[in-house]
Amino acid sequence: MARWWLLSILLGAWLALGCLLFPSRRADAVSDASPATAPLRIVSAAPNVTEILFALGLDEQIAGVTQGSNYPPAAAQKPTVGTFWQPNIETVIATRPDLVVLLTFPQQQSLADRLGRLGVRCLTLEIWTVDDLFDAIASLGGATGKEQAAQRLVADIKIRIEQLQTRLAGKKRTKVLWVVQREPLRVAGRNTFVNELIELAGGENAIGPTLHKYPPIGGEQVLACGAEVIIEPAMMPGLIESQRTQALAYWQRFANVPAVADGRIHVIDGDIVSRLGPRLYEAVETIAKCLRPELFGE
Amino acid sequence: MAHRLLSPGKLLARTAGAALLLLAVMLLCSLLGSESVSMKAVFSGVPEAGGTNPDYEIFVHVRLPRVLLAAIVGAALAASGVTLQALLRNPLADPYILGISSGAGLGAMLAVISGCSWTLWGRSPIAVFAFAGALGTVWLVWAVGRVTGKFHLTGLLLAGVVVNAFFSAVIMFLISIARSQQLHATMFWLMGNMTEEDFFVLWVGGGCVAAGIAALFLLAPKLNAIGFGPEDARSIGVNVERTQLAAFAISAFITAVAVSLSGLIGFVGLVVPHAVRLVFGSDHRQLLPLSSLAGAAFLVVADTVARMVVAPAQLPVGIVTAMIGGPFFLVLLVRYNRKVSWVR
Repeated sequence: MARWWLLSILLGAWLALGCLLFPSRRADAVSDASPATAPLRIVSAAPNVTEILFALGLDEQIAGVTQGSNYPPAAAQKPTVGTFWQPNIETVIATRPDLVVLLTFPQQQSLADRLGRLGVRCLTLEIWTVDDLFDAIASLGGATGKEQAAQRLVADIKIRIEQLQTRLAGKKRTKVLWVVQREPLRVAGRNTFVNELIELAGGENAIGPTLHKYPPIGGEQVLACGAEVIIEPAMMPGLIESQRTQALAYWQRFANVPAVADGRIHVIDGDIVSRLGPRLYEAVETIAKCLRPELFGE
Repeated sequence: MAHRLLSPGKLLARTAGAALLLLAVMLLCSLLGSESVSMKAVFSGVPEAGGTNPDYEIFVHVRLPRVLLAAIVGAALAASGVTLQALLRNPLADPYILGISSGAGLGAMLAVISGCSWTLWGRSPIAVFAFAGALGTVWLVWAVGRVTGKFHLTGLLLAGVVVNAFFSAVIMFLISIARSQQLHATMFWLMGNMTEEDFFVLWVGGGCVAAGIAALFLLAPKLNAIGFGPEDARSIGVNVERTQLAAFAISAFITAVAVSLSGLIGFVGLVVPHAVRLVFGSDHRQLLPLSSLAGAAFLVVADTVARMVVAPAQLPVGIVTAMIGGPFFLVLLVRYNRKVSWVR
């Protein structure tokens, strides 16, 4: 019995000693506070953040990006610091960043916390919707001393989208089935930014409100949804053609769906439409071309 | 019987040897990583005139904590594996057999889905929920197992299997309705997610695990007796029920600590005890310390591989433990086949 008491006392003493040795370090963690000077070495943890940084003219200051940052082409030449889902903290520190820009995904948040403990300045952007994107561009501009460039970028995107809206005005909305994955079938639901893009492009989601953001659906829903256009974003830009062949073959089993009957199945570049970034207008236009090719003289 | 041959001197020498080996492995692995670190720069410390020293930051604040974390988790899982294999008298037993993994997984999943962001003593909600889920599940399984009375161990195992299956189904349901960004977070967690931790967290976690292993070591002679069967153990004056309860509780506790630190890392708790038993025999006074040290070294190596093999990205460490551990164990199994009797 004595040995058990001794063990308990030792553990208690160890824990007490720990509290004395390691007082909370939270206090000196660096927040998102505004900078003393404009950052010279920026690490981007997400492809769309990289695109924004380039669009703000910060090409020279980007010291690292995550894998998959392939636009603009110069981004692919930048050193990588791991993947979007698992950024490598060692590599991030080794690039000696004075600003790390991340998104509000759990892994990225965790990296921001850990870097914050080491005194590295982090900016975490929340980009889930089109409005979020405009806010994020503004706050990124603020953190990098590019306020005016950010304002111009946002205004430019907004104007071009509005011009498209006037051309689409008064036209009936086209029903779109946005296929994220074919087997098993998974489509974009209403509560997604894809839904926003579809509506900006003059369409409406063929799928009604669902529990899931990207609901898995069965053949029954496909037949019932009455989709006039089916859009599949290709995850690999090089594979658009082969995916189109596969898609045409696959959708023949739903020959009664208007989109299939009319041959309106489109496979488009996934990078443009799957990232909320400065190419927002290009994304909307790509979709609008699928919905109303006559407006674009095609 | 093996433990008659085990003199205290021999035990001490072997344990010390294993400890030295572990230290060497930890030192070597902390020198390896996706970035090359100059030790000269590390020893120059933090520049006093302000500015940064990336080598120092990487070595002291990223790599060292991570190597320590791997050692703590590896030791906990291996010690817990030894104990459960002895108690359940089942070679397939591992730290997760009584539902800890699914309970912790469910806790983590709920934490992610609910999206709360508070911290408790520097721990994220995922860690806290996982810890609570792990202990809650073990308690549930133990309570159900007790009711089955005479066939206690069978009842316990079955309760563990069923609870595991049920909670896994709930996890799958939650995964199917989760948003994609939440999904990725939990998938990595379910495959074992090592990140560097605050030194305070390592201090507390390490202390709890070390105390747990020491406590199991105190129970080792009784575990040896139970290995011969509960009747024999009773006949030489071992209180079987109390020993079982204490050993279950302690191993569940250190497993829960490990799981809350690093997610679900499989294979360490299954393979390391068997490997050590194959080589050194199954006296628990020796098996327990040697397995703990070997488990620590194994996980440190596996995590270093996980950090480096696809650098600058990294693999979930659970994949590496299975991919290194599986073949390594098969080789041992063939080489030491004459000793394949796991009880005595």
